Amino acid sequence: MSPGQEIDRRTFMKIGSTAVAANLVPALEAEAKSPGETPYPVKWYPFTHHPDSDTCWSLSVGPDGRIYAAACAESVPGGVVKPVRYNEDRDDLDYLFDLAEMVDDPGTSGRASQCKIHYSFAPSMHDGVLYMATHLSGPPIDLPRYSPWYSWHDAKRCFRGSALLAFDTRNDRVLWWDTLIPKEGCRCLVHDEERGLLYAMSYPRDHFIIYDLHTRKRRDIGRISSINPQALFLDKRHRVWTSSDYGRLVRYTPETDRLEISPGLLAHDANYQTGWHSVFYDVAPSPDRECVYASTWCPNPHLMRIWPNEGEWPRVEDLGPATQARDTTFPIDMFTDHCGGLTFAGDGKLYYVASRWRDPKYNPTPGTGKELQGVVWRLDPRTLERQEVAQLKHPTGVANYVSRGAVDHNGDLFFGHVGNHPSGIFKVSMPAERKRKNAHLPIRMWG
Amino acid sequence: METKGRFDPNSPAIKAYENELAHQFVREGTMVAFPTCLPGMTTPITHDECRITALDIDSEGHIYGGTSGRRAHLFASAFHDLTGVVLDVGVVPDGTNSVAVCCGKSRTLAFVNGARGGRAIAIPEIDLAQDWIQEWGLAPQVLQDLGECVSKEPVVHAICDASRSTVIGVTTGHLFTMGIESGKVSVIGEVSGRGHLGMGSSGIFGQDDGARLWHFDLASGKIRRAAVDLPKGEWNAGLRWARGGDTGELLTADDAGRIFSFDENQGFRLLGRAHLAPVGPMVMIPDGRLFGFCGNEMANLFCCDTVSGSVSNLGVAASVFEHRRYAYQFGDAVVGSQGEIVFGEDDNDGHLWLYFPKINRVTRATT
Repeated sequence: MSPGQEIDRRTFMKIGSTAVAANLVPALEAEAKSPGETPYPVKWYPFTHHPDSDTCWSLSVGPDGRIYAAACAESVPGGVVKPVRYNEDRDDLDYLFDLAEMVDDPGTSGRASQCKIHYSFAPSMHDGVLYMATHLSGPPIDLPRYSPWYSWHDAKRCFRGSALLAFDTRNDRVLWWDTLIPKEGCRCLVHDEERGLLYAMSYPRDHFIIYDLHTRKRRDIGRISSINPQALFLDKRHRVWTSSDYGRLVRYTPETDRLEISPGLLAHDANYQTGWHSVFYDVAPSPDRECVYASTWCPNPHLMRIWPNEGEWPRVEDLGPATQARDTTFPIDMFTDHCGGLTFAGDGKLYYVASRWRDPKYNPTPGTGKELQGVVWRLDPRTLERQEVAQLKHPTGVANYVSRGAVDHNGDLFFGHVGNHPSGIFKVSMPAERKRKNAHLPIRMWG
Repeated sequence: METKGRFDPNSPAIKAYENELAHQFVREGTMVAFPTCLPGMTTPITHDECRITALDIDSEGHIYGGTSGRRAHLFASAFHDLTGVVLDVGVVPDGTNSVAVCCGKSRTLAFVNGARGGRAIAIPEIDLAQDWIQEWGLAPQVLQDLGECVSKEPVVHAICDASRSTVIGVTTGHLFTMGIESGKVSVIGEVSGRGHLGMGSSGIFGQDDGARLWHFDLASGKIRRAAVDLPKGEWNAGLRWARGGDTGELLTADDAGRIFSFDENQGFRLLGRAHLAPVGPMVMIPDGRLFGFCGNEMANLFCCDTVSGSVSNLGVAASVFEHRRYAYQFGDAVVGSQGEIVFGEDDNDGHLWLYFPKINRVTRATT
């Protein structure tokens, strides 16, 4: 944006930074409403029974329509992840189990710990199983930090591997577990239920992994790049999609057993970015499964709409930046500038959470509000107009970094959050006229 | 109940560990990952056809290489003056595995295995000495298939003789020579075709059955089987060699990472041991330091001072220039014209990794 196009704070707040940067101002001005005009009450559910928890990287709706989240503990030596479930009768969280104990790799092992589940819940509808795969980063119990590069060859310290666990949501039993990826973590997971295959991205080597649920055998298809994509998704032809370091689509086609890279780039700000680091952060399928909506794990993340079932390579529509304009001469903290939690709700609209922060030039809000905010947006896929419907509020901490979002069978929104201790999830109750039963269906098959 | 870490953050051991983590990538020198293209102007070699497994350098300092993967490509590259380009010369039909590239006087030969056997492919001399910053012009080049080297036997490795007019190659069962200009193959005889070839002062050494080397005498054209006993060590995997120093000594490593120098007259000498095994590609730079990668899956760069025998772990490869990238596996290496090293990354979307070693401090004697 040239200096002549700069806007004042009043305009910015009224229409939203996203709209300004995306040049969507005229379209949005008509619909923009202040938060609270339509009630979207927000409630915070801390992981109080897992006080070590510091992040919630996974939140998904299970095959039973209930909300599952990962209470992760990655900054704590020997920290372990505990899956939780929202209990709508008690309006509270149920703590399901200590995953490290379940997979016989306790936090006291001396190895890097089974500390988190990272975008790696994947439902199985025919049998009510929720698959979950662990990720690494938590240090061994007697070390302050862990590096998978440094400890790769160290049998005593090296992460045992991503543990894949099958949890039966019908009777709350762990059916079985296996090592999905030796030595490496699972950054993201998708389930092709028709073919009985799980697909995963390994960390740190960024390899594409296929796990056959029938034979319980894995295959390593090879490396993609250096920066993990944070999401994998499926199309109607059972192809698996993700992204590479330099902002290109990556496609796995089962018939050719091959990873291919797109010629075009994902959306980014061409004024100062090259596409590098424009990897997927979050991807939500449209209810008709004809397209997906995605955000990038990159400063100034862009929203996109991608049509994977069309053409040789999909049409990628740049829906503009999800967060506010900023000083591009300084590399902003990636925990400040963020967009995640993409999910469709019962009203057929896309919801997501984008951060907003005080900035002396681009958002000079008075000092009374939070310096960092998590804004819940509602995007109409037909008109691409967006509306700010709520702000996430944590009683004492931050609420700007949402990892994942999902809608439960009652039609309410839930968002996993990163950055508080203990960590937790937000529930955003949908207005009655905008919710419907079984709004989570058809279910998202990836974390 | 909250977990408490069982360590003293101020203990020397923990501080040392923190320091190690802070320097786990390229502890000395600088690495630059260069893609297989003219960056910003051409597309790199296809992701799954770009495992760089063979390199050589010609007298002009141009580096030629071959890839492995779904299809094998051959490329030419240069990184000096106004170059900075990797030119994909072409795909080898039915080729999937480049095992050697040999830069001769007049042209370069590549040896590529695939569905049509182990074949020699000629790469014409390519003039990369242009202004690749401002204005360039180059006609597409054509690879020339010189045919299968030995019928139904994949090529294992090949190197040039000192005059760079003849290639000496080995298949899984035979030793052969090939005139670089004529392209004529002569099968010399049967040898064990394992590992890379090393060029000594009198001829070529290759890994024989058991812990031995065979020797091919260049002057007489004779093969002597079981000519040299390998020193005590573990010698099951295929050998790799580096060559350098004033005397052109050879260096190799056993399966356990023990590094040896080899002189035809004085035999083997244990220099030291890499911290990981196996040892992969390695080269000696003009000041006598040997650099290479060791370890499977996630290789570490190491440096061996061939005088003192000290071996240091220089960490995992990472590039923060040109392309920002980690690298975990390497296929081959050459020493560039200025003493820099060029490693070929043997992985999907492989890059050429230029390594500029740390300059050692020179202590001058006081008068």
